[in-house]
Amino acid sequence: MFVVLGLLLVVPIGAFLLVAVSPKLFVQGTSWLTLAPFGQAFSGAALAALGRTAVCGVGAALLATLCGLPLAMLVHRTNLVGRRIWSVGIWALLLSPSYLVAIGWERLFEPAGVLDHAGQLLTGVATFGRGPLYGPGGIILIDGLKGVPFAYLAISAALPGLGSSFEQAARAHGAGRLGALRVIVPILAPALWTALAIVFAETISDYGVAATLGYDAHYFLSTWSLYNAVYSIPISFPLAASIGVTLVALAGIALLAQRRAINGRTYRVLSGRTRPHTRHQFGRRGQILCGSAVTLFFLVALGVPVLGAVSASLLSSDGTIFGGFHLTLNYYAQVFSDGALITPLLYSLKLALICATVVTLLSVPVARLLTRGGTGRVGRVLDLVLLGAVALPSLVMAAGYILIYNLPVMHSVGLSLYGTTLLLGIAYVAGGLPNNARILIGPLSQLDDGLLLSARSHGASAARTWRTVGVPVLSRYIVWVWLYCFAGTFFELPISEFLYPAGKFPLSVMINKELANYHYSEGTAMEVVAVLGSLMIVALVLGLYRLLVPHGWRQVGATRP
Amino acid sequence: MSAAEVHLDRVCKRYGEVEALVEASLALEPGCFLVLLGPSGSGKTTLLRCLAGIEKVSAGEIRLDGRVASGARTHTPPDRRDLGMVFQDFALWPHMTVLENVAFPLKRRRLTRTASGQRASAMLEKVGLAAFAARYPHELSGGQQQRVALARALVARPGLLLFDEPLSALDANLRERLRVEIGTLAREHEATSVYITHDQAEAFALGDRIGLLEDGRLVQIGTPEEIYGAPATPFVARFTGISGSLEGRLLSAPARTPGVGRVLIPSTDPGLQLVLEATVMAALEPGAAVQVVLRPTATRIIRSGARAAVLRTVIRDGAYHGRGYFYVLGAGAQVDFTGVFDRRRFGRGESVDIYIDPAGALVYAADARTPARPLDADAVLEHTGAPAGSYGPRPSPRTPGLTPSMSMLHQEHLP
Repeated sequence: MFVVLGLLLVVPIGAFLLVAVSPKLFVQGTSWLTLAPFGQAFSGAALAALGRTAVCGVGAALLATLCGLPLAMLVHRTNLVGRRIWSVGIWALLLSPSYLVAIGWERLFEPAGVLDHAGQLLTGVATFGRGPLYGPGGIILIDGLKGVPFAYLAISAALPGLGSSFEQAARAHGAGRLGALRVIVPILAPALWTALAIVFAETISDYGVAATLGYDAHYFLSTWSLYNAVYSIPISFPLAASIGVTLVALAGIALLAQRRAINGRTYRVLSGRTRPHTRHQFGRRGQILCGSAVTLFFLVALGVPVLGAVSASLLSSDGTIFGGFHLTLNYYAQVFSDGALITPLLYSLKLALICATVVTLLSVPVARLLTRGGTGRVGRVLDLVLLGAVALPSLVMAAGYILIYNLPVMHSVGLSLYGTTLLLGIAYVAGGLPNNARILIGPLSQLDDGLLLSARSHGASAARTWRTVGVPVLSRYIVWVWLYCFAGTFFELPISEFLYPAGKFPLSVMINKELANYHYSEGTAMEVVAVLGSLMIVALVLGLYRLLVPHGWRQVGATRP
Repeated sequence: MSAAEVHLDRVCKRYGEVEALVEASLALEPGCFLVLLGPSGSGKTTLLRCLAGIEKVSAGEIRLDGRVASGARTHTPPDRRDLGMVFQDFALWPHMTVLENVAFPLKRRRLTRTASGQRASAMLEKVGLAAFAARYPHELSGGQQQRVALARALVARPGLLLFDEPLSALDANLRERLRVEIGTLAREHEATSVYITHDQAEAFALGDRIGLLEDGRLVQIGTPEEIYGAPATPFVARFTGISGSLEGRLLSAPARTPGVGRVLIPSTDPGLQLVLEATVMAALEPGAAVQVVLRPTATRIIRSGARAAVLRTVIRDGAYHGRGYFYVLGAGAQVDFTGVFDRRRFGRGESVDIYIDPAGALVYAADARTPARPLDADAVLEHTGAPAGSYGPRPSPRTPGLTPSMSMLHQEHLP
């Protein structure tokens, strides 16, 4: 397991980051030890990009937390109608890649875009919104909305420990509604700081928005600078590496700030004494008011990009959306008939199915290793590697793969993997493994060892114990990890952009290529087909899980209404 | 602040189809300590939450000091009811120190920061936690957390103190000690207190008055002596402690209830029944199917062959408790008497005669859900047993002669 993780993660990433200070070590310069690349990273355009990245990171973190907190409170602590739908909406937002969201917004607001074709009033809206969208405001909005699921999940995890009695105690001892809120919110402080740190780290490492909206707005971000350093002449791996190190350091600073803000206070509010909270009962007025607010949020977060993508894919080049005369399905027909468009879809689908399965199979033992006591230093190192890999931008990892697998020595020892589908697949697995293993840590740490030991003591072998006890108890989470990894790989952009084999375009690369060539309708039609296809697979897997898996398996971890 | 006068007038609380509280009425004089006793789901927490203003009542009225706090159109929020509350999970705010937690209720008294700090410190001194003022709740033990919660409830000298099973999360030793502290401090502060628990020992130790709740209904309210001495229903009797129960038919009823009557208890021998003197608690006709519930204090082991002996039982189990033993006695396949105290040591399987004090043997109408469990024929002593049919009902004002049901009783048991 450690060899696998070493080869997949530690060696490529470590080597890439090392290039920043020792270019000669990897045949990327003349110095054995230098800080010159950092000089470049902290000057001129790279420094400006770093500043913009930090601003967008802070803005998106604040926006995501401000939206995630009320959303989590409404879904988990009130009787708001449609809570299940809103939860699904959060997952949909989590699974939608940032570049697709950005593309949706752009197609609506860009000059001669969908809104410009939709009558005078909407043209006015487009003109008014275009300025802020194509700049830091737009990037913060999209990264912030994309960050809401992270904030929502971080805060939701803290809510079960927040029994109603904390609020009731405040009310009983003289605090009004606002006063009680002032008592409650600080109890959530650790979760809020976690949400801020996670969204900040996600935003600064995001490549999707940087490569689409950021690029189109000429508001270049650090991930774009990193990509540029590897793919533009003159190619400079040391500069890319120093930008990578800086981004990792920024994420590290955010995590440190979070730690300092919490100051070791992880309020142990969840105990045997904690009484489950009771949902706040909204009256009709409260339902309408809060329901409208949540609906509005999802319309903006999901509705706008979906509308942008779908309408752009239906719009003939000289048509209007609402006239109905110039809507066409030609572009969809083209997606299915044109081999150049359908091939990337099937290619990414195949890779996503294989990689999701491999990642799921590897995630369970890795997570188990981390949750088992007694692993000592080895466990801590593994934990650190995985945590570091989660915080690391995928772009840095992809650049590391290029660096290592394109070294002449690799070719001379017969490891000519660079430019092959195999390397792309390995990189997908390496990219997906840390996140998914960490997702499984939660459920696995709750898997009481006594369950497994009692099976063993009643005569079951280790394999049978896992098959009959471990897997059934974890099945729900395993399915979700598979789906999360499948969707992530299917739409993956940064690793695909760096490592796709010549002439074999993954889906995300092809969509971007179409858009870059001004084939907006073809690109968006492809996007819509891909999203619908992935939703069908998600529905199919969940349906099969429901149909084929024994009833008892589905009871574990199920939420009660 | 002065102690609150509390009135509940036919208070109901519904959660959809579920009636959690059904027409609960009570009146508490200022300074009274009421303990609401009942099993889980009986509605005691709902009643307390309605009193606190955490829940709105569905019908009825709650008046505090004569003013309507909860009613059809009124709902005073908890922060305007001048109350202090101790929660079951203590609900200490984890991000505040002990001192901050305790000083919180003083904000409504509009004291200066210094005065508020002094008063909170004095309160902590009183509960023995002055040295822990700067600590956070999770740095304290369960008992210390409980004391902080108590100090927080008392510090602002509220007119009404509410306790939501505050000792249920603690171990037995600590519970005993803190129970005394709660009683002492609450009375010192002269507040009206409402305390809920499912522990009858706690209820009898603390309450000036005790209210019994069953299925959302307040079935009896009275002093501890009234509740123990004259439980209104078999449920109240069972919940406040019994040793065992017997089923039979009423042989003779007293002129007034409660009063001593006689009950025929069947045995496994159809021709032999036990005649038992007991206190009839409800207006019942002779011949009525009845249940006799026995208080633990009513069952005593006496000298073998004594005239007062009622039953011959077998020692099933015994537990040593310092001053003596608590026994489980068997008088039939499914007839047990638990918690019977005696200083002497008896071995398992040994036979002992017992006396049943009529004052602690309480007769109610039979519960159709409880199957009749006959005594073992060997348990019925010669002088207390009666061949079926040999006993007729004693004449009483209400039952001048043998009732049809009585005749049937005899016919059923004749060979």
